[in-house]
Amino acid sequence: MVRVFILVLSLCVAEVQANCDDVSSTPNFNRSYSEGWGITLSNTRYQSSSVLQAENVNRLKLKWAYGLHNTTPRAYPLVTGDTIFIGDSGLGVVALARDTGCQRWLYAHEGYIASALLHARVGARDLLIFNDRIAGVYALDASNGTLIWHTHLDDEPLPWYSGTPLIHGARLYVPIASQEVGLALNPFYGCCTTSGGMAALDLATGAKIWYRPTIEAPAQQTGDHWFFVQKYGPSGAPVWGAPSFDVTRNVLYYGTGQNYSHPTTDTSDALFAVHADSGEIIWQRQFTADDAYTAACNLMALNHPNCPKPTGPDVDFGAPTMLATTPSGRQLLIAGQKSAEVHALDPLNGELVWSRRIGRGGIIGGVHWGLAANEAQGLVFAPISDKSVLDFPSPGKASPGLYALDMESGEVRWHFTRDPRCAEVACEYGLSAAPLATNDIVITGSMDGYLEIYRASDGKRLWSFDAWRKFESINDQPAQGGAFDAHGPMVADDLLLVSSGYGYVGEQRQGNAFLVFEMAAEDE
Amino acid sequence: MNDGLYLASRRRRLAATAVDAICVPTLTLLLVLMTGILEDAQDYVSNLWMVQLLGLAIASYLLLNGYGLWHRGQTLGKRAFGIAIVSQSTNVAGQGPAPFWKLVCVRALFFPLMFTLVVPTILILPLLDLVLIFFPARRCLHDFVAGTRVVRR
Repeated sequence: MVRVFILVLSLCVAEVQANCDDVSSTPNFNRSYSEGWGITLSNTRYQSSSVLQAENVNRLKLKWAYGLHNTTPRAYPLVTGDTIFIGDSGLGVVALARDTGCQRWLYAHEGYIASALLHARVGARDLLIFNDRIAGVYALDASNGTLIWHTHLDDEPLPWYSGTPLIHGARLYVPIASQEVGLALNPFYGCCTTSGGMAALDLATGAKIWYRPTIEAPAQQTGDHWFFVQKYGPSGAPVWGAPSFDVTRNVLYYGTGQNYSHPTTDTSDALFAVHADSGEIIWQRQFTADDAYTAACNLMALNHPNCPKPTGPDVDFGAPTMLATTPSGRQLLIAGQKSAEVHALDPLNGELVWSRRIGRGGIIGGVHWGLAANEAQGLVFAPISDKSVLDFPSPGKASPGLYALDMESGEVRWHFTRDPRCAEVACEYGLSAAPLATNDIVITGSMDGYLEIYRASDGKRLWSFDAWRKFESINDQPAQGGAFDAHGPMVADDLLLVSSGYGYVGEQRQGNAFLVFEMAAEDE
Repeated sequence: MNDGLYLASRRRRLAATAVDAICVPTLTLLLVLMTGILEDAQDYVSNLWMVQLLGLAIASYLLLNGYGLWHRGQTLGKRAFGIAIVSQSTNVAGQGPAPFWKLVCVRALFFPLMFTLVVPTILILPLLDLVLIFFPARRCLHDFVAGTRVVRR
């Protein structure tokens, strides 16, 4: 009996391997479907290389699921003509054959892969760039997964590589946040001395070219607690998101988060425009002043010694900025804030063109991870989280859902208010993940596990997929769906790809599923 | 065992352990506060702070219990509740405590296990240590490993 079982098992393994034996180990880079986190360098999150549209999304079917090796996936895939590159934290970076999911190569890596995967061509070599959230920026040889370089910046002692870098020319622009927002939970920690910033690296070597901190002045001691622990400020103003890039003017745009301690600065909750060559600031504009907050404020009813007082609302620009051109031809810098406000500015000077509040906002957004746009229709799509946080409530009524704003005026053209599926905490039903637009549709993933497609012109929901379940995976790892959050969906041709199970903040349902949907043939 | 020594009751042992479990971490945290090993961003660049924290925890244990263990086989908690650690082979009332090196280098290694009682994934480890006390010999796993037992003083 045992022999029969082993024989059957061997045949099964042989069958699986036979299916993958034909897979070439070398990916083909003749086509790449994203230039960065925002699909384009301007971060519009609009995918032009897609056949998905309102009239055919009902034919989307799950093609395969891959079981990731950690819950709370935070990597955004890169798709080429024949390969899907994914960050599988706990395992590494994996190159999968696009049609079968078979593995081409694996770069083993133990850390937390926390960015979009990027493709760059340097000389005759294709590079694959990604962030380890703690360890820094990595460049692999995309043909075989071997390490080319690794850079950990030392301008700040505790950088957090949360935002996806941006590639332009021979440079890599790396947003820098700070781990101190979480370290402040430790009451023995003297909060806080570090700031965020933006760095420019040489794409070929990873060597630093310049670093621009968001707070130039060094932190000074401002007091102490418990007799011994010294407190410092100013600090904070991290850069959480990927920058957007104006190719014609050679300018980088990015937003910052709140201060971590007092005194506050005019660089927190602000937008920056800097020269890509030098990092010199062209303009900066603050939207919320005196916003000081750390994770310690979620404990002890604001009485934690590392919760700055007065305590701010924590309304970062966590979402990357976007450069978009309106139907009338005007270029705008558009940014969503955790306050649930969306702002449009003149990218030349930072003058405010319009500003619209569309939700309650809070420490998990408001707008949390990003916006998308359909420039031809003149629409900006803003997902609103308005998630409840028990120990740090936001005033007002929550209005989670998807909002389509007129790009010229900021007027709400339509909105889709989502309904809760149940009363559990894990059933938070807002939209925290960044959406993605393509053709005449916009795609979102909700914190309560629904992947949904809306018609861009009127917000009609066209397709919905419930991911709160187990999936049969193509690898040896069981796959469990959960909350959609973070970088959100990706589209390439007839494929829709997304990670499910992000449970990093609060009690969202964790999972480890990487899902690939495909447009079925018309007669299926 | 009728050798003039009476095994400590489980309740006294539990109470003594509770006192130690409060006193040692409290002193450790006080030392952390005074030395500032967790205070600066630079302290977290490497994992050196973990080694330093372990060092302060050991120092706290020895500061509070070292003298008592050496002379009487008693931690602070055991002294408070009138019990002491002796060698398993001791069979004469009044004989000295178990060897100091065994108490510190073997038996005390099990002390941090009790703090893992709140970690469900490794709950089995402290339970393995403690469950043996419910047998007639009233010896935990750390008693067997160190060759000790706990008696009334």
